Amino acid sequence: MIAPKKVIWAALVLMSTAAVGIGCAPPSAHGPATSTISVLLPPSERPFWQPIANGFEAAHPGTHVDLVEGPQSTDLRESLYTTSLLARDATFDLVYLDVTWTPKFAAAGWLRALDDSFPPSEREHFLPHAWDAGIFDGHLYRVPVRTDMGLLFYRQDWLDSAHVHPPATFEQLAEDAVVLGDPPARWGYVWQGAQYEGLVCNYLEVLTGYGGYWIDPETNDIGLEDPEAVAAAHFLVDAPQVRASPPGVGTYQEEESRRIFQDGRAAFLRNWPYAYRLSQQAGSPLVGHVGVLLMPATDGGRPSGTLGGWGLGVSTYSKNPELATEFIRYAVSIESQRALCAPTGYAPALEAAYLDSTLLAVNPFLTRFRALHRHCTVRPAIARYAQASDILQRHLSAALAGIESPQMALEHAAHETRLLLGPRHPPRGTAG
Amino acid sequence: MNGRATIRESWVLIAPAFLFLLAVIALPILRVLWLSFLHADLVGNQQFSFAGIDQYDRLWNDARWLKSLGNTVMFTFSSVAIELGLGLALALLLHRAFRGRGLVRALVTLPWVLPTAIMALAWAWIANDTFGVANDLLQRLGLLRAPVAWLGAPATAMTTVVLADVWKTTPFVTLVLLAGLQGIPDTVVEAARLDGLSPWRRLARVTLPLLLPSVLVAGLFRLIQAYGAFDLIYVMTGGGPGGATETVSLYAYRNYFRYLDFGYGSALAVQAVVLMALLSWAIVRWAREPGEVS
Repeated sequence: MIAPKKVIWAALVLMSTAAVGIGCAPPSAHGPATSTISVLLPPSERPFWQPIANGFEAAHPGTHVDLVEGPQSTDLRESLYTTSLLARDATFDLVYLDVTWTPKFAAAGWLRALDDSFPPSEREHFLPHAWDAGIFDGHLYRVPVRTDMGLLFYRQDWLDSAHVHPPATFEQLAEDAVVLGDPPARWGYVWQGAQYEGLVCNYLEVLTGYGGYWIDPETNDIGLEDPEAVAAAHFLVDAPQVRASPPGVGTYQEEESRRIFQDGRAAFLRNWPYAYRLSQQAGSPLVGHVGVLLMPATDGGRPSGTLGGWGLGVSTYSKNPELATEFIRYAVSIESQRALCAPTGYAPALEAAYLDSTLLAVNPFLTRFRALHRHCTVRPAIARYAQASDILQRHLSAALAGIESPQMALEHAAHETRLLLGPRHPPRGTAG
Repeated sequence: MNGRATIRESWVLIAPAFLFLLAVIALPILRVLWLSFLHADLVGNQQFSFAGIDQYDRLWNDARWLKSLGNTVMFTFSSVAIELGLGLALALLLHRAFRGRGLVRALVTLPWVLPTAIMALAWAWIANDTFGVANDLLQRLGLLRAPVAWLGAPATAMTTVVLADVWKTTPFVTLVLLAGLQGIPDTVVEAARLDGLSPWRRLARVTLPLLLPSVLVAGLFRLIQAYGAFDLIYVMTGGGPGGATETVSLYAYRNYFRYLDFGYGSALAVQAVVLMALLSWAIVRWAREPGEVS
């Protein structure tokens, strides 16, 4: 009975060597490339990053940029990055960061501070709001690549034929929405009210318009119980009740609301610039009929739109941090901004791109966008942003669904946020 | 042949499979268990420290957990109850001989093979107030006067996700019960008929008792699956409106991946498993009892 035993042992040894062999497979099969950097991107963006990667490889012989295609969903890509970084894994040298991820990723120690390569003096080359969104705790962790902001789109032709001026206050917006609507065939005002991040973006714009605030990241003060915050919540909750918005607006994300507008069934749409881009594409019935506004304001508030956008950070676990940083530098060159933004219509983060004749020729909207971008309102840069946002989402959604009154919803949200963030601390510089 | 040597050899033979299972199942479970006794909140403090039962203590003061547990129980029991009833009816129907039975059996299993996330997205659009086919149909039939945002209010949102789950997983119950029915000897049913039992009594007294093991298998599988429901609800409502459809697994996921609070996320996962294990144990025990008596 010796022979079979030997066979078994031989098989085991073979299996374990095979396993070791798999574990040691070379990380890259790209011939002579000596150093590789990689980043996870949404599939819709990857083709437009390829020329940037090619250009970088040409300028840095012996390097390879691995553009890994991830899922389209932002949440799922965040989970993939989280899983990888949690394992202290060097798979991704670069992190392509949504505007809200920076504080959390930086607080978890997953991002390198980029202050040495991108000192504060560089801020002037970028759209200021886009740059500031990459700062956490006084350090720059994310360099903006493309920016975004919530805007209010409206049917210029409908307003003109009804002799209605674009609304400057919330009362006017509500009034116009009711006047121009003819539900259920035509709605006045469509927006995003589902329980998700988009609801917070919508609310933040209205809140800023009423002159209120959500969280002051400096002091931990919470403004959700102030009369301005309650008025802002009432504005959103009342919209479907006065039939200005469809009954299902509390279940809408971007696409549900955009399709109603695109089908010519809504007068006002709160959305991101991509909705405008699609409405002005060849073949769209809305070409030349869409106007763009900031969210209106009352006395004491200011018109605004919530800042969004994407940028690059360097992973703490990268084995090639210098090369990765150089890639960021290359990605925010005017050539790269052109390569990414000209075919897609994305809004570049680089100031110079807004004077670039190539970009302006394909996307004339950029000039107007640049002017509107000064009025961005930003989500608080706190490490526990995800929790704070979930609290607000739940209670605003409860108010929209009629489970809680706006006042009660905000009191609960304020209470829970206070428990989450702990006691308020005095503003910097005035302590002691 | 030496018995002891054979045993030793058997150990060597099962060792690879055993080690593999240990690595991919036992180790992660132990790790989650260990994490649930730690303060492991990456955003708060990157150093993990021992927490004792602090994380479990947190559960009792967490209204969101209690709410999500209530939602999970509601979702699980309503969908499994409907699926068992519907699945039984379909299985009895498909067990009979009729023309085109093969085709119908194949069609019935269709929802089961569709990816959950895709069918969940389709259901969300079906339930949409402006574009949804559900509102269109109900209005044409005169059952509704104005469109309803099915996912926009707590009760209708819960009903809609339960219906979507029923649509998706009834085929599984049907298949298991159909297999069970085919295992019942025709002679037994035939004898009952000769004895003059009406069809209803035949079902209640003969078929169902003999089918009980299959019902238990299907029910337990579905119970465990529905209790851990994630993708369907994540896609359809994201837990909304106002947290009315958030399940425990959604809440645990958010603690892990959104809040980076691995200690609390693990405690949520562990309590979910413990509760489910207790429930399964109770059901299996209850089901065994009549067998032991007879």
